[in-house]
Amino acid sequence: MDTSVLKVSHLKKLIQKKLIIEDVSFDIQAGEIVGFLGPNGSGKTTTLRMIVGLSTPTSGDVEICGYSLKKEFVKAMSNVGCIIEGPDLYDYMSGYRNLELLASMSKDVTKKDIDEAVALVGMENRIHDKVAVYSMGMKQRIGLAQALIHKPRLLILDEPTNGLDPQGIHEFREIVKNLAREKNISVLISSHLISEVQLMCDRVSIINNGRIIRSASIDDALVTGEVVWTLDDPQKAQLLLKSTFKVEAAIAGHTLRATVDPERLSEINNTLIASGFDITYVEHKKRTLEDLFLSLTDKHTI
Amino acid sequence: MIALVRNEVMKILLKKKMPLIMILLLIFVGLLSYGQNYAYERNIDQFEAESGETAFDWQGLTTQRLDELEERSQNEAIPGEVRASFDREIEQLNYFIENDINPVTPTAAKFNVSFAEQGITLFIPLLIAILAADLVSSEFSRKTIKILLTRAVPRWKVLLSKYIALLIMTTLLVFIIGITTTLVSYLFFQEWGFSEPIVTGFTLFEGTLNSDSTILIPRYQYTLLIYSLVWFVSIIVASITLLISLIVDTSASAIGILMAALIGGQFLQFFLSDWELVKYFFVTNLDLTRYLTGSYQPVEGMSLNFSILILSVWAIGSIAISFIVFNRRDVLV
Amino acid sequence: MFKKVVWPLVSASALILALVFVFGFVTSIIISGGEADVQTETQTESPENIPEEVMPPDGASDILILGDSIGFGVGDEENLGIGERYLDLLEEDSETDTTITNSSVPGFESSQLADLIESGENRTSIAGAELIILSIGGNDLNRLNLEDNVTLAPAFEEALNIYKEDLTFILSEIRSINPDAQLAIIGLYNPYSEDDPQNARFLLDWNHETRLIVNSDAAFAYIPTYELFTYHLDAYLSPDDFHPNGMGYQVIAETLFRILNYSTN
Repeated sequence: MDTSVLKVSHLKKLIQKKLIIEDVSFDIQAGEIVGFLGPNGSGKTTTLRMIVGLSTPTSGDVEICGYSLKKEFVKAMSNVGCIIEGPDLYDYMSGYRNLELLASMSKDVTKKDIDEAVALVGMENRIHDKVAVYSMGMKQRIGLAQALIHKPRLLILDEPTNGLDPQGIHEFREIVKNLAREKNISVLISSHLISEVQLMCDRVSIINNGRIIRSASIDDALVTGEVVWTLDDPQKAQLLLKSTFKVEAAIAGHTLRATVDPERLSEINNTLIASGFDITYVEHKKRTLEDLFLSLTDKHTI
Repeated sequence: MIALVRNEVMKILLKKKMPLIMILLLIFVGLLSYGQNYAYERNIDQFEAESGETAFDWQGLTTQRLDELEERSQNEAIPGEVRASFDREIEQLNYFIENDINPVTPTAAKFNVSFAEQGITLFIPLLIAILAADLVSSEFSRKTIKILLTRAVPRWKVLLSKYIALLIMTTLLVFIIGITTTLVSYLFFQEWGFSEPIVTGFTLFEGTLNSDSTILIPRYQYTLLIYSLVWFVSIIVASITLLISLIVDTSASAIGILMAALIGGQFLQFFLSDWELVKYFFVTNLDLTRYLTGSYQPVEGMSLNFSILILSVWAIGSIAISFIVFNRRDVLV
Repeated sequence: MFKKVVWPLVSASALILALVFVFGFVTSIIISGGEADVQTETQTESPENIPEEVMPPDGASDILILGDSIGFGVGDEENLGIGERYLDLLEEDSETDTTITNSSVPGFESSQLADLIESGENRTSIAGAELIILSIGGNDLNRLNLEDNVTLAPAFEEALNIYKEDLTFILSEIRSINPDAQLAIIGLYNPYSEDDPQNARFLLDWNHETRLIVNSDAAFAYIPTYELFTYHLDAYLSPDDFHPNGMGYQVIAETLFRILNYSTN
């Protein structure tokens, strides 16, 4: 049985005869936090808009909790909460009235649910003020609350930390992580702050020029396979690696550098120790997400 | 659905459109009724000065007219229907004489009707436009359309709730216009005049106005009839404004486009009145009240039923296009 | 507050008002539309009743003037006559593109007009006219000035009888061609002041007979001029002391306008 909360299959979008989204497919499991990365104009926001029904795909479909967005819009959307490009609220009303208004559009949302959402985002004190006098951070909190009042199973956040101070970003991150952990809510989050995504997400999907170019768990995505050994006799070790494992390694001072399959790393290490080498340090090099992002997107932007 | 409509009504009320409309209305009604009272008093003065009489002798004029009518209605040669229309006028004039009311005195009942008659082609549509123009466009300009359309509610329901809310507010607005004009003009005229009889029911017969079918009804009923027509026209205007508001992104351009259509349509009617197509334009048909007062230039082939039909087609067309556009539209704000 | 007070108030009052307005709206349609049904019936019937050749032809004028020098406009300094002056008054009230055909012949007597109409020469203009203004009889009566005192009374009787016959004939002819047009006849005024009471009596008898014939038709108006002119002969007569001048024609046109257009005010 398919347990994915969100299943995006072969989305394609033409806007004014220009192919904005070529072929986007990915899915999200329950409780997963997925980062959605891409440079400006890569089709990131367009994809998110299609997922929440604000714009219609030219072809392809979106399934939310098993309901097709095309055929069962209401059932699909009752499982989604979202903030798309900033928390835009009715600024001539109080925050609470905004939430009340939006709550009345979903079935079975009680006053208690609203109060809970308000408490969750820590807005109890200012909730009855007019939205017009709120700071950006407060609007973001209300924005999150409005996405949560109807207890969705999927949360879609487009640039949710825009305009937040570092303290706010930290709090926001904690709230989202808690939601995923405690309430098993899946989160699809797009951000231009890559460090943000690295800190929050379990998986990442990278989009460029309307295509998903990499989709993997954060750990897998960052592994480069490059290993650096610091040992007493690099020349001898280089020969051993070449003869036994058919691995080409480069020498730099007291270090030996080679690209190996991570699964064979312990075997190689054991062989080296058994051959009498004195290994002082082994480093399995990881990239930053930023490196990965730049290396992937650069190649495609010509 | 009721909750959605309630939300939309709340939005309209909280946007403080009604106070703006009320202020506009009060200013206009105040100026107009002051002006009318002033003009009336001046006319009386002038009449007295010219005729050299001490007081304006409306009784004399009315009695004279009454005698003339009575004499004519005695005539056996006059057909029954014509005589009946004389009798109705006689009845009306008798009422004025018996109740000692000068038939030309301005009253609140007359003012609210003439305000509706004059305002139905431009001023009242303008008020409706203020109400309706930002119904959809403001959701786009404030970007709140995103939180509205990502709920578990199909788009057509969102638009329908907005439309129903607009109808509710339009209905209330027409009532408010009626009440305001009546109350404000009463302050100036000090006359209600709601029980005066009035002749209505003129029909068009082979291109000429026919008064054979007229009936005599009290003013308050007449006012109700006139405002019912205003209400109908307002709903038509609201429907068309909704479409405009949907197509353009700001309420200012929506009001602008509607005003241009209204004024342009009047021009068209004025300059190209023989052009067959003009009578199918909605602006040409807005002035429904003229069909009740009988004070209009008969235009070939135009009648109350014709105008109502044309207006309905326009409104239904606008609503249909609105729903299609709104359902398909990609939200890119 | 909104949910508990404002909303129920707004929705309930809107509902009640909407019902009231719908009721009023339907009533309005019935008042002016209900009659329209009757109308369409008569309209569909009318082409069958009226012979085809008298259907209003294209280019026919809306106002037709038939009769003598007064209808023609003799004496009017501005050469407007009753028709033009009436049209001016009409246009003051509202924009119209009404046209006038003036088929009057100065010096015409009632018998000549009757012959003219019988000849069918004016048939199309009569059929297409909305308003037909007649001015006739003045010459019939004026001819009597040549009679001496003895023969005057019988001559008057004879002339009046002929005139009555002719006018009745003219009326029935016009009605057989155009049953719907508004007709108006310009009454006679006395251009000779009060010097001869006998003349004035004849004139009044004459006008009285005209009125009786006018009254037999529903859409036939009598335009009194006797009273208008009696005290203002100096002001209203042209230098020939017989025909009206511009002012005289103007008051006749105004009277015509008042009599025909009262219902719209």
